[in-house]
Amino acid sequence: MAEPLFHVRGLKVALPDMARKPLFGRAPLIEILKGLDFDLPARSITGIVGESGSGKSTLGRALVRLNEPSAGTVVFEGRDITHLPETQLKPLRRDLQMIFQDPMSSLNPRRTIGAVIAAPLKQNRITDDLAGRAAEALRRVGLPESFAGRYRHELSGGQRQRVGIARALALSPKFVLADEIVSGLDVSTQAQILSLLEKLAEEMGLTVVFISHDLSVIRRLCRQVIVMRQGEIVEAGPTDAVFAAPAHAYTRDLIAAIPLPEVDPHWLEAQPSA
Amino acid sequence: MTACLEIAGLSATLANGVRVLRDVSLTVQPGEVRALVGESGAGKSMIGKAVLGVLPPSVHVIEGHIRLEGADLLALPAKERRTLVGAKTALIPQDPLTALNPSRRIGPQMTDRLTKILGWSGEKAEARIRQLLDEVQIRDPARVVASYPHELSGGMRQRALIAAAFAAEPRLIVADEPTTALDVTVQKQTLKLIAAMQRERGTAILFVTHDLGVVAKISQKVTVLYAGEVVEEADTAALFADPRHAYTRALMRATPRYTDPQASLQPVDDAVLAELAAEIATADRQWRRPHG
Repeated sequence: MAEPLFHVRGLKVALPDMARKPLFGRAPLIEILKGLDFDLPARSITGIVGESGSGKSTLGRALVRLNEPSAGTVVFEGRDITHLPETQLKPLRRDLQMIFQDPMSSLNPRRTIGAVIAAPLKQNRITDDLAGRAAEALRRVGLPESFAGRYRHELSGGQRQRVGIARALALSPKFVLADEIVSGLDVSTQAQILSLLEKLAEEMGLTVVFISHDLSVIRRLCRQVIVMRQGEIVEAGPTDAVFAAPAHAYTRDLIAAIPLPEVDPHWLEAQPSA
Repeated sequence: MTACLEIAGLSATLANGVRVLRDVSLTVQPGEVRALVGESGAGKSMIGKAVLGVLPPSVHVIEGHIRLEGADLLALPAKERRTLVGAKTALIPQDPLTALNPSRRIGPQMTDRLTKILGWSGEKAEARIRQLLDEVQIRDPARVVASYPHELSGGMRQRALIAAAFAAEPRLIVADEPTTALDVTVQKQTLKLIAAMQRERGTAILFVTHDLGVVAKISQKVTVLYAGEVVEEADTAALFADPRHAYTRALMRATPRYTDPQASLQPVDDAVLAELAAEIATADRQWRRPHG
């Protein structure tokens, strides 16, 4: 296997627990990630699956240093980025891009799509031929160049998610974090977005972390999978192997709970294995 | 046998004359679960709202019938209609957090329908709700009724709303994507619960969902919608064994299936959508002629 792009050991993240915040003073910290060890192979799509509250999004955000780990190390391309200050992170940011779940709320409503895509370029001091680069990014995700002049409300959900991908890829990053990017989409649109992401990852040699609550989608898209529960990794490995023989009871329950589009009168009667 | 719900030739338009429901017909027999499946904009929730009489003011029903146990709802005076619908139907909404008032405790919100619409005494309503909470396997009903919505997990909230929906023994429940916001393991428990309570009581359910997986597990009959038009209608087993319409087949190929990842999640072919658009345009032209 290729050299890992990320090398993560003993990763812990603690965040303020706002539910227990006193009226004055700081909220107590709550440990979200409880010491995770894993590597992310380069040029490959890794799925992270878990139910709500499992810490999958917190893990993704720690990788791109949107939050700072409280313990452990995150090594990106041989460099320890666990506690790098923002000034030193800045040059790395163009290699660490992300696509969010809801493109409606992550796209600026008052900017044209062209300006939205060009914004990260400008931040990285790329100023020549911004329009040309934006047009190229749109073409890459299968949207016509004319979309550069439109606003987000003029786009369908699938088109907005294409814009989200175009913006993330405009800087030709090495790593892309995709957090529940097809959750709000119809199945037909979902299929298109997944095919697009798969194609672009292959063409551009991207390393992708694909966070999803949906194991079926992960099965289709990801070479490796990490199964999380309550801030811990319960199982990790090649997707084929995990589906063929899930080692952990929780993984088996997750798989068994997926309603396959097949009639099965016993499905609603079966008891969970745990 | 009188159908529990019979919708016949239902058409609805927006103010600009665009049809959002196109000559929709379907029936739900007593004790039956009929799934309404389609992508966003298919009009599946709108049909549920039309039955309950809660369509947004921008949508106008312009023809057709909605018969609830034989009574033609659209022909009834508004007040009578509300009384009838309130007595015989209930809703399980998609997102219990949005459906519940955040500043009131769960208990009074659950008894409201029983006391205000059905005129039950407070004591009788509370006793019934306690009994139902027990039936939906809420272990600590006293704590749940005293909680505010945000103090419960999504699964617990949905259980409480299922209990509330079944409490007045409705003949028909409209379940509008009741498990879409839930985790997959909680979804399965919730579907099991709805199915068990429905079977025991013989309640008819109009089950709105976008997920063919859920359709396969919960329903006996299914109506596939696209752009407010019924594309296909069948017994659920027959639909999955032998989908007749090209769109139904495309929808099935687009649905994720972990047992066959390469053959699933296929984008819907543009040709299928073009054909559907042509079908709909023809239907609209024919419909417009007598309607000016």
